[in-house]
Amino acid sequence: MATLNITFGGHSADVPVELERYISDEDVRRIAVELMRSGGVPGLHHIPLRDEAFQHYVVDRFRGPQGEERIYLRPKVPFGAC
Amino acid sequence: MRIVFCGVGAIGSATALLCRNLAATPVFIDFDRVESKNLLSQAFVKPSVGKNKAEALKLQLHNLHGVKAEAFGVRLTRDNVEALCKGADLLVDGFDNQDSRQLLSDHARKTGTPLVHGAVSADGTFGLVRWDERFTPDAEDTHGQATCEGGEHLPLLGLLAATLARAVQDFLKHGVKRDAFVNLSAVTPLAGQG
Repeated sequence: MATLNITFGGHSADVPVELERYISDEDVRRIAVELMRSGGVPGLHHIPLRDEAFQHYVVDRFRGPQGEERIYLRPKVPFGAC
Repeated sequence: MRIVFCGVGAIGSATALLCRNLAATPVFIDFDRVESKNLLSQAFVKPSVGKNKAEALKLQLHNLHGVKAEAFGVRLTRDNVEALCKGADLLVDGFDNQDSRQLLSDHARKTGTPLVHGAVSADGTFGLVRWDERFTPDAEDTHGQATCEGGEHLPLLGLLAATLARAVQDFLKHGVKRDAFVNLSAVTPLAGQG
């Protein structure tokens, strides 16, 4: 079991996902769209999404304290100043 | 102890103010000048308009808070990064572009200097505090992409600056390197990374 964390529209939520194999960044983006459309992401449902909603998003992959896989789908953060 | 703040715009300037309690010498690096529009989103005051940002922040810290700092009003480059960051105990990245972040990251990894990044999305809805061990600089979607201007995103920028300052203080006091997400509703520590 892995955890997918999705950040969208200024909000973030964790979703448990069953992954039987490594999935590409593109797969992560596609799964996130489907999860959000299905209402399966706490606090992030009822948001109309385009297929390419996460096209420019970044996928980070880390291991948690017990070795569990954590995947973060987040907006790019190129800026530090305005 | 020297803390070098690289880029003192919205995130860097506010973070530096929130680190003024530390027993350390803050050092500011920024080539840019304070513009009137910056007063809404950065820690600068009206008399600083027109001054170099690094110099202005140094003056403000001294005049308003009695804190002594150093300032270098230049652009960080491959030719001067060694000299400007020499003796740093900690580097804090508040730059606004991928190239400068990468340059700083390369220097930190080469010299073994701790480096923490503060970064915000173009729409001002999401920010990240992440230590260099786990950081890859993101590119703008388009070169020169417009970012959050004015004061529209000030609350999120404030949260991000406070979270970054907290990361700095936790590192100096306890030696831990904690990452965090900052969004419109919460600051979320990232588990298992500290």
